[in-house]
Amino acid sequence: MTIPKEVAETIVDPQAYADGKRVDEAFSWLRKEAPLDQAHVEGFDPFWVVTRHADILEVERQNDLFHNGDRSATLTTIEADRKVREMMGGSPHLVRSLVQMDNPDHMNYRRLTQGSFLPQNLRSLEARIREIARGFIDHMAAQGDHCDFARDVAFLYPLHVVMEVIGVPESDEPRMLKLTQELFGASDPELNRSGAVLDVDAGVDSIQSVVMDFMTYFNAITEDRRANPRNDLASVIANGKINGEPLGHLEAMSYYIIAATAGHDTTSSTTAGALWALAANPDQFAKVKANPALIPGLVEESIRWVTPVKHFMRTATADAELAGKKIAKGDWMMLSYPSGNRDEAVFKDPFKFDIERTPNKHVAFGYGAHVCLGQHLARMEMRILWEELFARLESVELDGEPRNMVANFVCGPKSVPIRFKMH
Amino acid sequence: MAEPYKVWQCRTCGYIYEEEFGDPGEGLAPGTRWADLPDTWICPLCGTPKADFDMIEL
Repeated sequence: MTIPKEVAETIVDPQAYADGKRVDEAFSWLRKEAPLDQAHVEGFDPFWVVTRHADILEVERQNDLFHNGDRSATLTTIEADRKVREMMGGSPHLVRSLVQMDNPDHMNYRRLTQGSFLPQNLRSLEARIREIARGFIDHMAAQGDHCDFARDVAFLYPLHVVMEVIGVPESDEPRMLKLTQELFGASDPELNRSGAVLDVDAGVDSIQSVVMDFMTYFNAITEDRRANPRNDLASVIANGKINGEPLGHLEAMSYYIIAATAGHDTTSSTTAGALWALAANPDQFAKVKANPALIPGLVEESIRWVTPVKHFMRTATADAELAGKKIAKGDWMMLSYPSGNRDEAVFKDPFKFDIERTPNKHVAFGYGAHVCLGQHLARMEMRILWEELFARLESVELDGEPRNMVANFVCGPKSVPIRFKMH
Repeated sequence: MAEPYKVWQCRTCGYIYEEEFGDPGEGLAPGTRWADLPDTWICPLCGTPKADFDMIEL
């Protein structure tokens, strides 16, 4: 079975992810009819689409066989790839973070900051994060009886937490949020830098100019932290050593960029998507409101539900067989996390939002050596926010149609209008 | 006297296995000792083998 043109075009279409239903239907069809097959879409190199939960795990646990860095780690067009390679001296990557690395670099660079994100070391942040959460809940209460939960709370709370962890001053948070939305929302005219639908050239130029702005900003932070180290992540990156040498410039800048973008945007999307789902499913809200012990289940289900990272790409380093298919050395593969997280073979009623779902072994954080470094922080932030919010929130309902970002890589809700009562 | 409970942590993702609490979601009852997990057991969050866990103190 080859993937029909309209299905292949849907799974690369940023608008289909904003629509939600279209992309869900395409992946449901694929899981049933062509769970692992090649997509041929005009303007893109052919790529395998890995739709089943089990196959995603199989690829992610074999890091030597399926590399992150050999080709673009995110879906890109032939033209955009050519342009990036031209700019980057042949490399397919505009940045070189953990996402674009393989071993031994990946392990060495990951170890540099891993300790900061271990659960036992995050415990010391709990009281401060709770204080931050309370501040945003007060802000929400001050809106009266309605707000846009995405813009008024969900975008800002994880941003504030992560910027404190990195060491970015509060006054620069609006700038970090804008740059993040311009980067991940490059396909969304409401979020990107030019405010228009961009062609490939303009899209790459736009992303590159955002990356340059991040680099200019974090260059200054690096210089400051080398002169005046503090107890923050920026100081770890600025003064870190790999094999006895300081981090490479591109690698250091990329480390900051991934922390300052994916570090909060994914949690924001999940937080916004969770309240959207609770407002749309009053029985689930009533359950968690009555029993706070269900909050960890809500957190896990909302991560599965939103799956803010829509894909990563892998490249086969040798001929391989996967699910009965012959993958050739050099083949490019899309790991579709939203599809894995709706896999009927793993999740009963996968399109039902169920905070009591157990087990809930979703792949939203990835799996294997590249599993999300910040997953424990993300869970902790959401748990604390819901503990504090549900102690005050009496009712919530949608107050208009929520809207998703137009993007096919990292995205979630961009507007969740709600009406609520709280004390 | 019973051996004190120990805590083990995945080197890749930081998942913590506390013998005292087990991991009921993974079918491991409270009190299940690390030594009683099969060698083929893998980290439930990231798939790292049992051999790549470290004993830690919380």
